[in-house]
Amino acid sequence: MIDEDIAEATLKSAESKGTFLLAEVRTEERNSRNLSVKSSQVNNISTFQDSGMNVRIVLRSGIGFASSNLVSKAEGARLVKQAFKLAKTASRKNPVALSQEPAVRTDWEVRQRRPLVDISTEEKLEYLNSLDSAVMKTKVKVQGRYYEVKDYEISGHFANSEGSRIRSFLPRLKVESFNLVSAKGQTAQSIRQWGASGGWEKKDDWDLVHALPQEMRMLKKQLEQGRMVKPGTYDLICGSEVAGIAAHESCGHPMEADRILGREMSQAGKSFVSPDMIGKQIGSRYATVMDDPTVPGTYGYYPYDQEGVKARPRYLYKEGLINEFLQNRETAARMGVQSNAASRSEFYLREPIVRMANTFVAPGDFEEDEIIGDVKNGVLMHSFTEWNIDDKRYNQKYVSREAYFIKDGELAGPAKKCTLEITTPGFWGAIDAVSKKVGFDSAECGKGDPMQGMAVCTGGPVLRLRSVMLK
Amino acid sequence: MSVLKETAQHVLDIALKAGATDAVAEAVEISVKQVRFSNSQIDAINAWTENNVILFVAVGKRVMSSDLRELDNLDALTEQVVSLAKRAPPSKTYGGIASGKFKYAKPKIDKRILSLDDPSKPVLEAIAGAEEEGAVNVGGTLFVRHSAAGIASSGGALAADENASLDLSVRAFSQPEASGHTLSCTPHLSDLKPRETGLRAGQLASRAKNPVQGEQGKFDLVIEPMCLTELINTTSNMMSAMLVEIGSSMYAKKIGKPVASKHVTFVDDPTIESMSRQTFDHEGVPTRRNVVIKDGVLKTYLHSTSTAKRFKTKTTANAGPLIPTPFTMATQPTAFHPVVIPGDWKVDEMISDVRRGLYINNAWYTRYQNYSTGEFSTIPRDAILKIENGEIVGAAKNVRVSDNMLNLWKSIDALSKNVEEIYWWDEASPPSTVPTVRIRQMNVTRSS
Repeated sequence: MIDEDIAEATLKSAESKGTFLLAEVRTEERNSRNLSVKSSQVNNISTFQDSGMNVRIVLRSGIGFASSNLVSKAEGARLVKQAFKLAKTASRKNPVALSQEPAVRTDWEVRQRRPLVDISTEEKLEYLNSLDSAVMKTKVKVQGRYYEVKDYEISGHFANSEGSRIRSFLPRLKVESFNLVSAKGQTAQSIRQWGASGGWEKKDDWDLVHALPQEMRMLKKQLEQGRMVKPGTYDLICGSEVAGIAAHESCGHPMEADRILGREMSQAGKSFVSPDMIGKQIGSRYATVMDDPTVPGTYGYYPYDQEGVKARPRYLYKEGLINEFLQNRETAARMGVQSNAASRSEFYLREPIVRMANTFVAPGDFEEDEIIGDVKNGVLMHSFTEWNIDDKRYNQKYVSREAYFIKDGELAGPAKKCTLEITTPGFWGAIDAVSKKVGFDSAECGKGDPMQGMAVCTGGPVLRLRSVMLK
Repeated sequence: MSVLKETAQHVLDIALKAGATDAVAEAVEISVKQVRFSNSQIDAINAWTENNVILFVAVGKRVMSSDLRELDNLDALTEQVVSLAKRAPPSKTYGGIASGKFKYAKPKIDKRILSLDDPSKPVLEAIAGAEEEGAVNVGGTLFVRHSAAGIASSGGALAADENASLDLSVRAFSQPEASGHTLSCTPHLSDLKPRETGLRAGQLASRAKNPVQGEQGKFDLVIEPMCLTELINTTSNMMSAMLVEIGSSMYAKKIGKPVASKHVTFVDDPTIESMSRQTFDHEGVPTRRNVVIKDGVLKTYLHSTSTAKRFKTKTTANAGPLIPTPFTMATQPTAFHPVVIPGDWKVDEMISDVRRGLYINNAWYTRYQNYSTGEFSTIPRDAILKIENGEIVGAAKNVRVSDNMLNLWKSIDALSKNVEEIYWWDEASPPSTVPTVRIRQMNVTRSS
């Protein structure tokens, strides 16, 4: 149970130290559990209880952030002193400013039908073993079999000197799998993750007892029957997993305002996008990419960000145009706009920075059959394995995990290692059809220094890209 | 006895009294200051402290681990972990923890690091250095790190450890697409070279000016230590016995076989003075120098006691964290400080022998199609310099190395005399000491 008096006392301590633009105190408690199974055997069982607090002091001369896993009034006072000193030391040439945002007083929580804390280790083990058994029953040769379930609840309290007070409760569930399938002297790997905000009931949505065996059979078929794609120009149909990773990597990341302003320049890098590119063409009129933290039940869900700003859907690319950057209060002030609630932190020890939530390509009005039916010579890249993108987010690569040739509007057998290496405008500019139904995948996005793994979703409908080079 | 060692011993005693048959307790204190800078000015200064006890217990084959963070409630929390272990499903592959009469090296730290009062000064020196060489935009981080640990185990481990280090990262831009990235990583305050680090980043950024679109094809690569350490991140991970077990390693079934060129000797050595010097592994076994690849031949995987038992060998003192950490699996043996033994080449000589190649400062985003076969790609970044007929003739951009990681290590034919300690973000990690190397005929691709 978070003692909110400590936050109040810490804010008072900050007020007694002098003037500032903003003082924030964030307190968190987290209970986490982890179970992993390797080749039908328990590999590890862990349980954690963690709590901590941080203080962020914003002066015109700089920002100081101090955090600790001790929670007390004395520790709060120590963190205030330290954060003030750090903020003064920064001596910024360009003074810090923050966007003005309304104070918020609210409580929010994600409800659970089957609370994660009530699920026994035995039940989780039974679940993971059921996945492993289902995989084994396929008779596919699966050399590597590793499964993990992680779940946690975060209770939070946010207070700032402008009057915001936000209590929160967020449970999350995640299942990961690693499988290595072999056939005909070759191997194919499958590294997957499923995540949601909510209780144990969320696993039912994923239906992994059927989905994982299907994946093993698919990989076997790819190995046994797959033909290499002859390098050349094809129409490419991207499944929702591929649409989602492209939305995340070549839209979400380059549209992060801190990146655009250079704050991540020595780690995750800068962006090909500059502040004056709002309204500029980046893709075809079918290219609309959203980032929406408010989708209920998603892995990246939150209604208020960690500066206390109310979340809302953001249209990053809209009908092919660069539309809106992801902003926190500092970047928003520098660009003369309001924050759109993109400030997130992995946990209390880390500073909040600009992050994505659930980034996805917006649906269109095509049926999937129509999209494939209109392709004479093409490839369907249903899912991917290897992928990467450069640090300005302009040159990306996706290699298929599951792909099929398309001949005269029909699927024509598995395609092996289909490789798309393309620029960002090349990808978004080639889209000429988007399906109606959006699929989501969960992921951990890495950014920040120290690295902060952040719960996000990627997603999209089926996309058709005309005349792109495949390798 | 140090306070942390006492804490660890106390938690161990409580665990054993509560019924644990094996237990390891590691008490840790971490204190970090970080200066973040970009656009040639400081953005924020962050500081954090962590005090916790990592506890692993076994009751027979029933195992449980936890990260205890309520230090005023350690007894009750420890009893709770043992109680949970008693009710946990058994782990049939659990192979026990190390036992023996262990002798530990005495840790020594440079205490002047702890009294570094104003960490912004070296940052401003680094920025000035880069600007002196023509940089127009400089960013990076300076970390001031101090950590202490005490460990106690039912196998007889009882020791204390301490480390202090500095790591400065400077990325300088001379143009929007021309940059250089350099580091200064050291456990000694006097070895932190902020101005020199800035100067070199600025020089690389200047040499990278006016890059042209890179070409596809086979190229010889001369890669700096930062780029090599980026590749070591995944390479060293695949040396872990646990990754081999689950089929996620290109080194599976390759003990005694060539996995690199004969010029390559790869060692994990946490005993040398470095950012990641470590007295004991996470089971409390004294760390040691392990030769993993000798003259190109794979000699061992990295083991904990449990994986060693399954592989019918002995631990290499590489037991990793007993709890899961971001991007690693719990109980995964891990490299602490990779070292690639240097050669006898000067970097200029390495370049002079290249007809068509690239000199690469840094890389990131290394990803694999298949860890078991090693097919991968990585993205060169910062200075990418074109080499033609033994000379650097300009800069390139927008290229990717798309090849096979085993092939890459087998294609190294020259290693520099000089080595650097490298640690950058979570990309060029863990902290490693490596030379510049030349790799023949790598496949380079780009966007169409």
